Amino acid sequence: MKPWTEKYRPKKFEEIKGNEEIVKKINDFLENFPNKKKAILLGGPPGVGKTTIVHVFANELDKEIFELNASDLRNKDKLNEILKPALQQKSLLKDDKIILIDEVDGISGSDRGGIPELIRLIKETNYPLIATANDTWNKKLSPLRKESLVVELKNSKEKDTRDLLINILKEENKFLKMEILNQIIENAKGDLRAAINDLQILSHLEKPEESIVDERNKEESIFNVLKEVFQEKADNKMLGLFDKVGMPFDEIILWIEENIPNVYSGEELVKAYQRLAKVDLFKGRIYKQQYWRFMVYENIFLSYGISASKQEAKSGFFRYQKPERILKIWLNNQKTAKRKTIAEKYAKMVHVGIKRVMYEWPEIKNILKNPLIQKELKLDEDEISYLKRS
Amino acid sequence: MASEIWTEKYRPKKFIEMAGQEDVVKRVEALTKSLNIPHLLLAGPAGTGKSTLALIVVKELFGDTWRDNYLELNASDERGIQIVRDKVKNFARTKSLGNIPFKIIFLDEADALTPEAQQALRRTMENYSSTCRFIMSCNYSSKIIDPIQSRCAIFRFKLLEKKDIEKVLRRIADSESLILNPEAIDTLYEGSEGDCRRSVNLLQSTAAVSPSITNELVSTILSEAKPKDIKVVLEYALSGDFKNSREKLLDVMLKQSVSGQDVIKAIQKEIWNLPIEPEIKVKLTEKTGEAEFRIVEGSDPFIQLQSLIASFVLAGMGK
Repeated sequence: MKPWTEKYRPKKFEEIKGNEEIVKKINDFLENFPNKKKAILLGGPPGVGKTTIVHVFANELDKEIFELNASDLRNKDKLNEILKPALQQKSLLKDDKIILIDEVDGISGSDRGGIPELIRLIKETNYPLIATANDTWNKKLSPLRKESLVVELKNSKEKDTRDLLINILKEENKFLKMEILNQIIENAKGDLRAAINDLQILSHLEKPEESIVDERNKEESIFNVLKEVFQEKADNKMLGLFDKVGMPFDEIILWIEENIPNVYSGEELVKAYQRLAKVDLFKGRIYKQQYWRFMVYENIFLSYGISASKQEAKSGFFRYQKPERILKIWLNNQKTAKRKTIAEKYAKMVHVGIKRVMYEWPEIKNILKNPLIQKELKLDEDEISYLKRS
Repeated sequence: MASEIWTEKYRPKKFIEMAGQEDVVKRVEALTKSLNIPHLLLAGPAGTGKSTLALIVVKELFGDTWRDNYLELNASDERGIQIVRDKVKNFARTKSLGNIPFKIIFLDEADALTPEAQQALRRTMENYSSTCRFIMSCNYSSKIIDPIQSRCAIFRFKLLEKKDIEKVLRRIADSESLILNPEAIDTLYEGSEGDCRRSVNLLQSTAAVSPSITNELVSTILSEAKPKDIKVVLEYALSGDFKNSREKLLDVMLKQSVSGQDVIKAIQKEIWNLPIEPEIKVKLTEKTGEAEFRIVEGSDPFIQLQSLIASFVLAGMGK
């Protein structure tokens, strides 16, 4: 059984919905080839049909596709070996061909050498080349951008997604409740591949309602993860726990930091903070030495380590809070912005450092309430009224 | 026009007016009279007269044109050594005006520069040695790399004695018609920890409330300042109230712009005043040292400090 994403992949122009203009642009490009530019950089979020469009063109215009992926670009030699012959030789089976380089932005830092080489080859090619990328504005693609016609595919509209899904259900003789269909569309956010995948899985389940709840509550899952770490007994499965939260690791650190005292106390609390401090230590080491394997320790201390800080599982209800530190820092910076501009003027006048003035502020601010001194420092109205309030 | 800020208004303008530091003053004065000074490194605690002496040197050398021939930079405020070098370059490009064949750059808090930045600074000093003299100040000369030290005449400033500060405060009180009682002088001296500039600021801050400077009034003003707050942080922790301790810690660090290292310093001192067993004092000091080490190495100060105050919770339980 083919996955539906393959089975229902469009094969004809009319099956491509919502991107008609783009199709016309690409068509013009291919018909008039060779143009000033010999390559297309085809951008768009995952699952909108970048690769599909190229295949549809090959199909409709009866061209062969010569496909490469980013890792083939790894080095000059390899590129020359594979791509160069393809760029210059005639296709054996069909009259014509399209060179497709899928996910060109997947090139990692160390593979970067491939980009200049790719550009050289574009200049030599006898056949149109299409490169796809999620983010065409990625810095490492800027040389490629200059050599290519840049075309952006848009996210599929809700209505188009819905029509497509309903069609598939009809074809497959399946039935889904409207609210579940709506949820699939909402979760997919325009990613057709994700929508079709979800559709296939959910239409085969007996109680699709139960599994879709997980998806919908993606945002809530940090709370579930916190509950598991803080309340359940440490378990090996905790090592993979943070992968499931769609949140950067550094942000998870803040969540853990905020919530330790909400659940733990006494020795547990001390152990947990010591381990959190270790996480932070390794974070610093990664940063300084760029040695990413230390991530392993960060993860272990933050998940299993925090969990193992307690003796037994904790039942009952605990309130987990959003991290407030970043907000407090931001609020404070807003509040002290005026103080800083005053401190700068004062520091210059009295030959000391600004940091020292900020530090000694409680002693200094009374002095600055004197109007004569305010005039002397040329404080503006905002600064004067700030002093009145402090 | 004389400044209304007393630290400026009463800043010594001649060598003879300097408070304390007799030896240093005598030697620097002799150098200045010769009209040819080497680079100077002024080392010593805050508020002992380093900047003041530098300013006197400059005014003695250049007279009324001193502002044109003098650049003041504070290493802890400048963003990166490159900015310092650019400013120096700009300033040093033009020749000095008048009889003195060099200009003066005063680099305050030079020990805030990392050793690497100091190396870069050293090269800058060499490049402009024909047109510029550097006067640098630092708290500890050991934090200045040897190659810079060896290029400078080093002068060590001592902490001012109580009698020196008392003299300064009394002079100001007379001139400003304040009533200054002897106990208040004690409190001003202790509260400022021998830092003359701070003691003058405290006096003016108090005088803003009332011209009659009493012990109580000074204490009230002082109690708004920090080390006490760190004590509160630790007291919460020892009593087992981690949440309040943590909140107060963040509060102190944010509202009073106190750096992680300053907090650590205060904690390390405060340990000796806590009602805990000797063995635990040593343990906590060890933890404090480890936290300081990590912060210096670039860890997140707030996370490391939280871990540290968690250790105080344990200490509060006698462990």
